[in-house]
Amino acid sequence: MASALVRRARGSAAAAPALWAAARGVASVGSDIVSSAPCVSLQKARSWDEGVATKFSTTPLKDIFHGKKVVIFGLPGAYTGVCSQAHVPSYKNNIDKLKEKGIDSVICVSINDPYVLNGWAEKLQAKDAIEFYGDFDGSFHKNLDLEIDLSAALLGHRSHRWSAFVDNGKIKVLNVEKAPSEFKVSGAEVILDQI
Amino acid sequence: MAPIGVDDTLPDGQLGWFDADDKLQQVSIHGLAAGKKVVIFGVPGAFTPTCSNQHVPGFVNQAEQLKAKGVDEILLVSVNDPFVMKAWAKTYPENKHVKFLADGLGTYTKELGLELDLSEKGLGIRSRRFALLADNLKVTVANIEEGGQFTISGAEEILKAL
Repeated sequence: MASALVRRARGSAAAAPALWAAARGVASVGSDIVSSAPCVSLQKARSWDEGVATKFSTTPLKDIFHGKKVVIFGLPGAYTGVCSQAHVPSYKNNIDKLKEKGIDSVICVSINDPYVLNGWAEKLQAKDAIEFYGDFDGSFHKNLDLEIDLSAALLGHRSHRWSAFVDNGKIKVLNVEKAPSEFKVSGAEVILDQI
Repeated sequence: MAPIGVDDTLPDGQLGWFDADDKLQQVSIHGLAAGKKVVIFGVPGAFTPTCSNQHVPGFVNQAEQLKAKGVDEILLVSVNDPFVMKAWAKTYPENKHVKFLADGLGTYTKELGLELDLSEKGLGIRSRRFALLADNLKVTVANIEEGGQFTISGAEEILKAL
């Protein structure tokens, strides 16, 4: 498992493991993010009133990824240290550079409910630059094998800290930190060089 | 588990809490409630409107009156992680007495028999809206709402019972 993570972090995967991984629905370079997580939807960060007005609608992955160049990053939790102080700001501060490279949208996803995520995104003043989506039951991250048990930190099952460049649904770049507390490979500066 | 009711013993449980020095602690309900008069109130979710705008402010604002009537602890429980509870607590700078406790995995809420499936609204398994009064671990008042409304689980009802 650890060696697989290191391979991913270097952005290279041999063909055979990538195909096997894609068949299992695991995220890896070359796999299709939408078919890796079929029947999965995400919940756009919103206030409760917006939820009521939209009848708590969810967004299927194909609406997010098809026909678009997307940079997506995942993190363990809203309102936690590295997530708030480093990970989100890195993308917020580099949004113009990402757009110059032809990126259509920058997405932040975490295993939080969409209301907590909305409160957090507004606090970080990041909603203009980044689209925040909640994977409230963890199904997106489970399908992509990007889930980690952080019960010891009283967080339960959460996402690894990771980033990816996805072109029309195909994962072109995937960076996963070795530990969720680290912030070495999943920031905006790194992925800007990889796009 | 059947919902907790009057004359039941308050079950024990471990909840997450960032204390006054910003240290993450695991606190035990029995540790906080044994030999004391405590109010425990529960909400479906941090940063949602009824919880934020009505239920919590009621207890924050009436905390002094509750203490004057002999209540030792006022505990808020929600199925959220402790980071979210800490951030939510910060939105009430005037709060002096309510402890925002995190039942991150919903374990304690299940012990109380008060879980509520709000998956349709993107929240997963959460707590029903409720308020309990317990005296030395014996439940003397159990006000549990049906659905999401806010009619009997506020601070006023607990004050009336004291």
